[in-house]
Amino acid sequence: MDKKRFRPGTRRLVQLYAALLYNANLKGFIDGHIYTGSLKSVCVPGFNCYSCPGAIASCPLGSLQNALNAAGHTAPWYVLGILALFGVILGRTVCGWLCPLGLIQELLHKIPTPKIRKGRATRILSYLKYVFLAVFVIAIPVWFGLGKDEILPAFCKYVCPAGTLEGAVGYLQHPANSTSFFQLGAVFTNKWVIMCVIGLACVFCYRTFCRFICPLGAIYGLFNRFALTGVKVNPGRCNGCGMCVAKCRMDVRHVGDRECISCGKCIDTCAQGAISLQCGKITLKHPETGKNADPEPVLRKRKQAGRIAWGIAVAVLVFAVAWFNFIEPAVTETQAPEIPAAQETAAPAETSAARTVGSEVGNLLPDFTTDLLSGETFRLSDHRGQVVIINFWGTTCAPCIAEMPYYEQLKVAYPDVEILAIHNRAGARKAKDFLADKGWDHLDFALDSKEKGLLQLLNAADAMPQTIILDKQGVVTYNAQAPLTYEKLETLYKKALAE
Amino acid sequence: MERKKIFLVTQSLLCALVAGLLAGIALYLYFDGAAKQAGRDLFEYIFTREKAGNALLLVLPVFTVSLGLTVAGLVLGIRDENADNPVRDPHLLRDTGSLRNRAVHQKAAPGTVYLRIAVLVLAAALIIAGILNGGLEDVLAKGAAICTECIGLG
Repeated sequence: MDKKRFRPGTRRLVQLYAALLYNANLKGFIDGHIYTGSLKSVCVPGFNCYSCPGAIASCPLGSLQNALNAAGHTAPWYVLGILALFGVILGRTVCGWLCPLGLIQELLHKIPTPKIRKGRATRILSYLKYVFLAVFVIAIPVWFGLGKDEILPAFCKYVCPAGTLEGAVGYLQHPANSTSFFQLGAVFTNKWVIMCVIGLACVFCYRTFCRFICPLGAIYGLFNRFALTGVKVNPGRCNGCGMCVAKCRMDVRHVGDRECISCGKCIDTCAQGAISLQCGKITLKHPETGKNADPEPVLRKRKQAGRIAWGIAVAVLVFAVAWFNFIEPAVTETQAPEIPAAQETAAPAETSAARTVGSEVGNLLPDFTTDLLSGETFRLSDHRGQVVIINFWGTTCAPCIAEMPYYEQLKVAYPDVEILAIHNRAGARKAKDFLADKGWDHLDFALDSKEKGLLQLLNAADAMPQTIILDKQGVVTYNAQAPLTYEKLETLYKKALAE
Repeated sequence: MERKKIFLVTQSLLCALVAGLLAGIALYLYFDGAAKQAGRDLFEYIFTREKAGNALLLVLPVFTVSLGLTVAGLVLGIRDENADNPVRDPHLLRDTGSLRNRAVHQKAAPGTVYLRIAVLVLAAALIIAGILNGGLEDVLAKGAAICTECIGLG
């Protein structure tokens, strides 16, 4: 058996490395929580859903849509700057070396089936990604953000297979997030089918998503011709045989053009040794054999530098895994604060049986106090004898904002109900301005913070919206991560009232 | 038909079947659940962990066979040999000089270097402006809480 055939090349190892580094929060897959630390304010260069339990940083494309969506309030300079930085330094080398979705596509293409080769049709289709970029990433978010003041990251919502695979499946696989299944509907079905179709296409056609759909690749492609890193040609050696283009599986017209992902296949193909992978003046890859191969001392020096680079990279990965899983302050913050022993089996005056304190249905929700935006103080135990609805929301969560008028409507219809809406810790600073012109005057709003740790205390999930409904004794009658309609909300309220 | 071809075609059909079953099951669960939801109970959920788990079990046998064939194919070196043949595009090869001249060259032209520097400076300026105007905080706000819409949940 040819063992060399199974040995992963440098590029495959770098792809695996990048996928692991982007998703170094491995404990997220075990405890079902996403990483919420400050590194999430930074974007990774490749396609990696930030809702993946393992993700330690944000997705550049999701962030771009969000920033364009909010362009009416905050100019999207930060994300544009990040994309320009990655673009000018790496170009589409990101796609070939640092994108986990690219790795998945390449592995799917390894499945032995007849393959569809590139041609005129695939070259025409390669322009399709610019349509996706213009319509789904730019036009729709900007239109909804500026025109309607609504949140709609259209590519994420309707197309992105990374979101479905890494985000939805990654999050739903954990039993603790079972109630998130309740909100699955047409959008999920549509995205699931799209993911299946793209996955199947990748088996037959090399990097289908990357070549025809990926808006991030389209953005980086614009930088490719002047990016610092990429495959470059030595015109003195090139004889114009065209073998580099003919052998390339992407729809390139020339080495290093907008479709080139710098995978380096052409370097091995070129009989003249005219092509190399460069980062500025540093040669990262060059033919090691043939008439134009570099001299032995240069090769030895490059190999030595490569070993040092790998050593540093492995050290960084080990540190990242240790940091995000055991050391990072956010790890300890996600642990629910300890409930005082006296409260463990506290029984409200009205109930005869002692109840476990917790947030599951049938549990007694732990008592807490928080300041409201109105300036008053909210203490849960002060509302015994009333049905209490606690809603977790965020200004960046479209379904949360969509359901908020129903809570307002319920409060107007049933003044006896107490409704507390707690804003997620992230972005809480902007919530007050956001609420100023919404007219949800009958609801009590509170902001969570690191110090308060309300979400941890109430064991709220990472996904919003989440609603907890308590009966008059403070016992949880409903707790799910799903948006509610007015009809459902009213039914749940009446049920809690009757208990 | 030679054996290798039969293998590749069988594997194609199995892959199509796996993808088709995964998509078909989701569609079935959706339409079935939506009909029940509309007709009966307000709290009849379209998808639940149990429904999804049972449905995925149906795909498992086909998936296992396909996976087994993939491993066998990889070990035995069965593949579409045609895939690696060079694609000669007459539109590209009319002028072989253009391949050489229009490719990205090792030695960047002065214009390219200036452009790089300009974009780098612009990127740095944009990032600083973004940090100052709260853009960084917005990215954190979106990334630190699951965007249910973004991943197809909402």
